[in-house]
Amino acid sequence: MKTKDFEPKIMTFLCNWCSYAGADLAGVSRLQYPTNTRVIRVPCSGRIDPLFILKCLQDGYDGVLISGCHPGDCHYISGNYVARRRFAILKTALEFMGIEPGRVQFSWVSAGEGEKFSQVISKVTEAVKVLGPMRKLVKAANSLVG
Amino acid sequence: MKELVEKIRKIFSDEKLELLIGYTKGTLPLRSTPGLIESADEADKLIFDFTCCNNLAKYLVDEKKRSGNTHRIGIIAKGCDARAVVQLVMEGQFERENVVIIGVPCKGVIDPSKLRKKLNGKEIIKFKVNRDKITLFGKNFELELNKNELFSDSCLSCRYPNAVQYDYFIGEPSEPLGVRDEYASVDEFEQKLPEKRWTYFEKEYSRCIRCYACRNACPMCYCEECFVDRSTPQWIGKGNDLSDTIIFHIVRVLHTAGRCVDCGACAAACPLNIDIRMLGKRIEKEVIERFGFTPGLDFETEPAMATFKENDKEEFIM
Amino acid sequence: MFNKNKSILIVGAGIAGIQASLDLAEMGADVHLIEQKSSIGGHMAQLDKTFPTNDCSLCILSPKMSECARHPGITLHMNSSLISINGEPGNFTCKIRESATYVDPDKCVACGLCEEKCPTKVTDEFDMELRTRKAIYRYFLQSVPSNYAIDAEHCLRITKGVCGLCERACTAEAINFEDTDKEIDIDCGAVILAVGIDAFDPIVYGQYGYRKFLNVVTSLEFERMLCASGPQMGHVVCPANDKPPKNVAFIQCVGSRDRENGRNYCSSVCCMYAIKEAIIAKEHIKGLDATIFFMDVRAFGKEFDKYYRRADEQFGVEFIRSRVAKITELPGGDLRLHFAHQDGGRDTRDFSLVVLSVGLQQRKDILDFSESIDIKLNDYGFCQTADFQPLDTSKPGVFVCGAFSGPKDIPESVMSASGVAARAARFLGLKRQKKVSKKEFPPERDVVGDRPRIGAFICHCGINIAGVVDVPGVVEYAKSLQNVEYAEDLLYACSQDCMETIKQRIEEHNLNRVLVAACTPRTHEPLFRETLREAGLNQYLFEMANIRDQCSWAHMNEPELATEKAKELVEMGVAKARGVTPLQKLPVDIDPRTLVIGGGLAGMTAALTLAETNYRVFLVEKEEKLGGNLRSIQFSLGDSEPQQLLEKTIENIYNNKLITVYTGTEIKTIDGYIGNFRTTVVPLHRGGTPKELQHGVVIVATGAGEYPTEEYRYKESKRVVTQLEFEKMLHNGVFTGKPMQNVVMIQCVNSREEGRDYCSRLCCSQAIKNALVLKRERPAADIYVLYRDIRTYGLKEQYFGEARDRGVIFLRYDIDNKPTVELIDPENPNSKLHVTTIDPILGKQVVINADFVVLAVSINAPEQNRELAQMLKVPLNEDGFFLEAHVKLRPVDFATDGIFVCGLAHCPKDIDESITQATAAAARAMTVISKMVVEAEGSICEVNSELCSGCGLCVEVCAYAAAEMDEEKGIAFINEALCKGCGACAASCRSGAIDLKGFTNEQIFSAIDSLEMAEILQHSGT
Repeated sequence: MKTKDFEPKIMTFLCNWCSYAGADLAGVSRLQYPTNTRVIRVPCSGRIDPLFILKCLQDGYDGVLISGCHPGDCHYISGNYVARRRFAILKTALEFMGIEPGRVQFSWVSAGEGEKFSQVISKVTEAVKVLGPMRKLVKAANSLVG
Repeated sequence: MKELVEKIRKIFSDEKLELLIGYTKGTLPLRSTPGLIESADEADKLIFDFTCCNNLAKYLVDEKKRSGNTHRIGIIAKGCDARAVVQLVMEGQFERENVVIIGVPCKGVIDPSKLRKKLNGKEIIKFKVNRDKITLFGKNFELELNKNELFSDSCLSCRYPNAVQYDYFIGEPSEPLGVRDEYASVDEFEQKLPEKRWTYFEKEYSRCIRCYACRNACPMCYCEECFVDRSTPQWIGKGNDLSDTIIFHIVRVLHTAGRCVDCGACAAACPLNIDIRMLGKRIEKEVIERFGFTPGLDFETEPAMATFKENDKEEFIM
Repeated sequence: MFNKNKSILIVGAGIAGIQASLDLAEMGADVHLIEQKSSIGGHMAQLDKTFPTNDCSLCILSPKMSECARHPGITLHMNSSLISINGEPGNFTCKIRESATYVDPDKCVACGLCEEKCPTKVTDEFDMELRTRKAIYRYFLQSVPSNYAIDAEHCLRITKGVCGLCERACTAEAINFEDTDKEIDIDCGAVILAVGIDAFDPIVYGQYGYRKFLNVVTSLEFERMLCASGPQMGHVVCPANDKPPKNVAFIQCVGSRDRENGRNYCSSVCCMYAIKEAIIAKEHIKGLDATIFFMDVRAFGKEFDKYYRRADEQFGVEFIRSRVAKITELPGGDLRLHFAHQDGGRDTRDFSLVVLSVGLQQRKDILDFSESIDIKLNDYGFCQTADFQPLDTSKPGVFVCGAFSGPKDIPESVMSASGVAARAARFLGLKRQKKVSKKEFPPERDVVGDRPRIGAFICHCGINIAGVVDVPGVVEYAKSLQNVEYAEDLLYACSQDCMETIKQRIEEHNLNRVLVAACTPRTHEPLFRETLREAGLNQYLFEMANIRDQCSWAHMNEPELATEKAKELVEMGVAKARGVTPLQKLPVDIDPRTLVIGGGLAGMTAALTLAETNYRVFLVEKEEKLGGNLRSIQFSLGDSEPQQLLEKTIENIYNNKLITVYTGTEIKTIDGYIGNFRTTVVPLHRGGTPKELQHGVVIVATGAGEYPTEEYRYKESKRVVTQLEFEKMLHNGVFTGKPMQNVVMIQCVNSREEGRDYCSRLCCSQAIKNALVLKRERPAADIYVLYRDIRTYGLKEQYFGEARDRGVIFLRYDIDNKPTVELIDPENPNSKLHVTTIDPILGKQVVINADFVVLAVSINAPEQNRELAQMLKVPLNEDGFFLEAHVKLRPVDFATDGIFVCGLAHCPKDIDESITQATAAAARAMTVISKMVVEAEGSICEVNSELCSGCGLCVEVCAYAAAEMDEEKGIAFINEALCKGCGACAASCRSGAIDLKGFTNEQIFSAIDSLEMAEILQHSGT
C-alpha cells in the first residue's frame, strides 16, 4: 500500500479539562486538521489505563494519541504526573518490543492551545501515515472475519 | 546446614513463631521444595543450598492471605526473597512486625528450566559438586557442567545476593556472582532492528500456552483476581490469540514495573522456557534510570509507580 | 423591622439580566425577569463570536438562556416593560405592562405553520433589517422562550381586520386575537435595571453616507452578516452588488470619542469587536484584506493585547491611525475613503465594504423610562452612579448592571450583574435553603436491568454541523446501530423546543439512554442531562458525541470524511451509552462561612458584602494593615477621595461582628472542598500560633503590585519615579513652592511588550489623573505624556480631553523606538534628565529637559500567586494572574467549585471595577453558602471490595485523599464527598477493583471496540 492512499485510523484520548477543551478551541477557531482521529473523552490523563491503549492497537487502530494537561495544569492536581510515569513505562515496553515509536504518542495540550492541538493531530497523522497500517499486535480475528 | 537448623530452632522459640517458611529437600535430585515448619522441632527438615530456587515470599503472601495475616511467620530469605518481602510490606500485604526475616547468603540457585533443557527429558539419579563444577549422573549418562550453566540468569547478574532487610542473618554474606553484566543482554537486544525485536517477541510469546505458571510463581502477583481472568468486563481475550497473549505479557510487566525484584521465579516456572525476563529486565532498567528506584531495598522509599516527581523526564511527550 | 419581600424585579434580559436572575434565583430569591422583546438574550444573542477567544456567542449564551428559562426560581415576563416603582426598599410595588402577543405561550409549540401562512413581511429587527420576517414571528431561531408572537403593528388582522390565516393554520389553537395588554403589580424587595444600550445610529455622520451608500454597514449589521445563522448564512456579500468583498475597512469611533456630537466617551468595546470582526471576516472570505482606521487601539482588557497582536501578525489585519474624513461612492457600489495621515498628508483608499464601528449609546426611550421610575441619568444618558458605588442608582433599593451604567463588554456586564445580585440580596428576606433544588423533577424511572433503548439525536446546529456533515446520513446510520431505538435530527438540539422534543421522544419510544450528537459536552452536557431528568430518566443515562467543535468545524473542507467521522463518533457514543448506568449525587453539607484571602479593597468589599448579608467571613491579610494598593491612591479622576473610601471601608470591616480579621497573617495550607474547607493560617510575627479556620467557600483577592522596573534610569536617578510614587509626592506637597518646569510621563513601562504581553489598563488614566492634579497646582508646568495608545476607555475619555485642554502634551512613541532617559550630569544622581523620543509621524527626534520622569510601570502579578494557586488547585494565566473558569461568562468563578476571584488578582482594574468584581465574587459565593446542602459529583470512583487486594496504590495516587484504606478489612474505599472523579486510582489499580462511574473500563472498552465491530460487520457484509 502506498503511503498516499493509506488513511490511518487514530484513536485519541483527551482529558476533559485541557486537551478536550483545546480540541474544542481548535474547532471554534476553525483550525483544520486531518479527519483520521476519533476521540474518547476522559476526565483526566490519569484515568488512562495502558490497557486502553493496547486495546486500541489490538483493535486495529494504526496509532494512538494520549493528550493531557501540561505539568502543573492538571485539573486534578497530579493525575497527569502519575500518568506520565505510567506512559513512560508503556512507551519503553512497546518500543523495546519493536513497535514503532510513532504508533503511540503523548502530548500536553492546554485548553488555550487550539493551534497546538491541530498541529499535534497533523503531526501524529502524518507520522502514522508514513508507518503504514498497524500489523503488529492486531487481533487476528479481525482479518479472519474479513 | 547444622548452623542453620540450630539458629532457626532458637529463633523459632525466641520469636514465638507459629510458622516458618523455608526449604526442605525435594524428592528428586537437585530439587528442593518450600516447606512450612510449625514447631522448632521440625527445624532439622530445613535445608539451604543452590537448589533452593523458589521465591518464598510467594508462599508467605499466600499463607498470609489464607490465615488472615494475624500471626507471626518466619521466612528464610535470600536477597530476592527479602526484597520481595519488603515490597509486599510496602504494599500492605502484611505488617512488618508479623514477619521475621531470616536472611541467608545466596551463592546462586539453579533455574529448573535450564536444568530441564540440559537434560532434555532424561532423568538424573544423583549429582556431585566440586567447587564450580557439577556432575550429573543418570541412566547411561554422565554430564559435567559449570554450575553457572544451571544457575538462573537472575543470579548471574544479581546485585543483592543477601537479604538487605532482615531480622536475623545466618552465615557470612555472599559476594555477587558477577558473571554477567546485569543489562548486557537487554542492551545487546536493543541494538537489533525493531522488526527483529518484534519477531523475537512474537516467536517467544507464540509458544505461550497461557498456563499462567509465570504469574502463579510471582511473589508480586497476589491480586484477588488477575486481569486476565476478569470477565465483566473482559479485559483481554482468554483464547490463544497471539495478540491477547502478547498483551497479557506486556500488562504483566507493566503491573510488576517498579515492583519486580527479578527473582527469576517466572522464568523458572515456565514449562516452555519462554524468555519472560527480557521485557521485564528492560522495564526494571527504565525504572532505575528514569525514576531512580529499585524495589525492595527499604521500607521508606515510595514505590516508583505510586509517586512522581514534578521534574520527571518527559522527553517522550510531544 | 418590616417584613422583607423575597421577590426581586429585574428589568431587561440581556446577558446582565440573565446573570443577575440566575444568581439571585440560586440564592433563593423569587425572580421576576421582564423583557421588552419576545426572547431573552439581548445584544449578545446577535453577536457572531466573542473576543478574545472567538467563542461562538450564541453557543455560550444558549445554555444560560435555557438555564434561565428552566430555573424554578425565575418567572419570565416577556414583551413587558416597567411602568412605575412605588414603595420603599424591601417593599416595592412595581407596575409592569405585558403587551398583547396574541399567541398563548402555553399552547404554542413553535411549529412554524403560522409563519408560513402569514402574508405580511416586516423587516427583521434582530437581523438588523437585513432580511424580512413575518408579522407572526419568533425573535430569532433559538429564541427563549421559543413561542411565537404577533407584531400588532403590522398584522393585517389587527390593523385592518382582514386575514387571520395564522389562526386557521394553528392546529394548537394558540392564536388569540382577543388578547390585550395587561398591567400587573409585582411586589418585590428590590429592583435591578439591566436595560442595556442601543447601538449608535450613524445616520448623523452624513460624511460616511450610511443608508445612502449600500456598502456602508454598521458593525452590528456586519456581525449578523458574519453569523452562520444570520441573513447571509455567514457568506458575506456586499449589499450593493451581492458580491463577496475584496477588502473591508473598519472606521472606529463612530459615535464615540466625539465631543462635537456630545459623545465625549469611549464605547470601550469597538476596538476589540472590530479586530474580532476583521479576523472572522478574513477567515470567512479567502483573500480578503481588512483595514482598521483607528485613533488608539484600546485593547485594555485581559488577554486583549495578545489578540490585537495576533490580528496584526498572524492574520495580517492592517491598522491605520487616522480618522476618516469622508466616504464617496464609486460606480458599482465600491467606496472611496478620504483620510489624512498623521503627518497631515491626504490620501484615499478604495474598499468594497465599509464597516462603521458604532458605539454604544443610551436607549432611545431612556429619558421617559428614567423619569417614570425616578432615577438620575448622567450627561450621556447612562444611569448615574456615584463614585465607588458602581452598582447603585440614585434611588435606594434600585440597582443597575450591564451597559446601562456605561459601556461594558460581556464579562464586565456579567460581573456587574453578579455584583448587583449581592447588592440587592440584602433587601430581600432570604433564608438559607434546605433543599438542593427548588425544581421538582418527576421520579426517576427504574431502568436497571432493562435492555438499552437508545435515542440518538443529531443536531444540525443551524449550518454549523449540517453545512459540512450529512446530518440525515448520520441519522440513518445511527438507526442502524444496535440498541438504537430511535434517531432524529434537530435544528438546534439545545433550543427549548428541541429539548421538549427529546423529552417527548423519550416518552413515546420508552427510551432509557440518550445520545446527543452536537457540540461539546463541556458546555452542553448539563443542559441535556436536565432534560433527561425532566423526562424521568437519571441524568447519567446520557452521552454526547462532539460532531461540531471536533468534527464539522475542524474539517470544513472535507464533508465526506467529516461525515464518516461523525458517524463513527456517534457509533462510539452509542457504544458507551449502552453501558451507562444511573448514578446518584451525594449531598454535601455547606459551611456558611467564607475565607477571603487578601485585605485590599477587593477583599474588604467582598467581606463586607457577605457580612452585610449576614454571612460570617474570615478576612486574611499578610500585611499588618488592611487596604492594599488603595493605601497608595490619593486622587481620583473625579472629585471623590480614595482615602475616605479606605477609611470608611476599614472602619466598616472592624465594626462588623461577622468579620474576623487576621492581619499580618499568611495562609499555610488549604484542604477540603466546596462547603468544607479547612485552612491553616499562621501569624507572621514571631511566636504566633497557627489557627485552623473552617469555611465553605474561598474568595481570592490577593491583588497585584507595580512591576519592579529597571528601565529609564529608575534605579539610578531619584528623579525617575513610578506613578504611585509620584502620586505620593503630589499628595505630600513635595512640589509645592519648588522650581519645577517639566514632567515627562512614560507609559507602558514593561507593559505590552515581549514577555509581558498585556496592557495594565490603569496607567493611562492614572497618568492623566496625576497630570491634572499637577496642572491644578502648577498650571505653568509642562507635562508630556509619552504613550503608545491612550486607553482612557469608557467615561474616562472626558478626562483625556480635559488634560489636552489644560495643555498636557501627548506624544506618541513606537515600541521599536522607545524613549531614552539620560542624566544631564551623569555624575550627579540628583541631576535633571534628558528624555529623548522619536516622533513616529515625523521621524524626528524630540529632546525634553525633565525635572521628573514618571513611569507607568506595569501591574505585576505577585510570585506568591503560584503557591496559592497550587494550594487551591486553580490555574494562572501566562502572565501570572488567576485564570477564571470562562473569560466571558464566568469571570469570577474558578473551574473548581466554591472558589472565586476578584480584584487585581484576576487582572488589572480600577477601583470601581474592583468593587464590582468583589461584590460579584461575594454574590457567587452566596449562591453556594445560601444553601445548606449542595450535591457532589455523581461520576466518582468506587471500589469493588471483592477484587481489592489492599495494595494501597490508590491511596498513594489520589491527590484528594479520597482513597483510604479500611485497615480492618485490608481493602480500600473511596470517600465520596472528596472524590473528584479523575480516575487516576482506577487506572492504577492492577486488580481492576476500582472503576470510575460514568467512565468505566467497560464503557471505554466498548467505545474502543465499537469501530472494530463496525469494520468487521462491514467486511462481512461485503
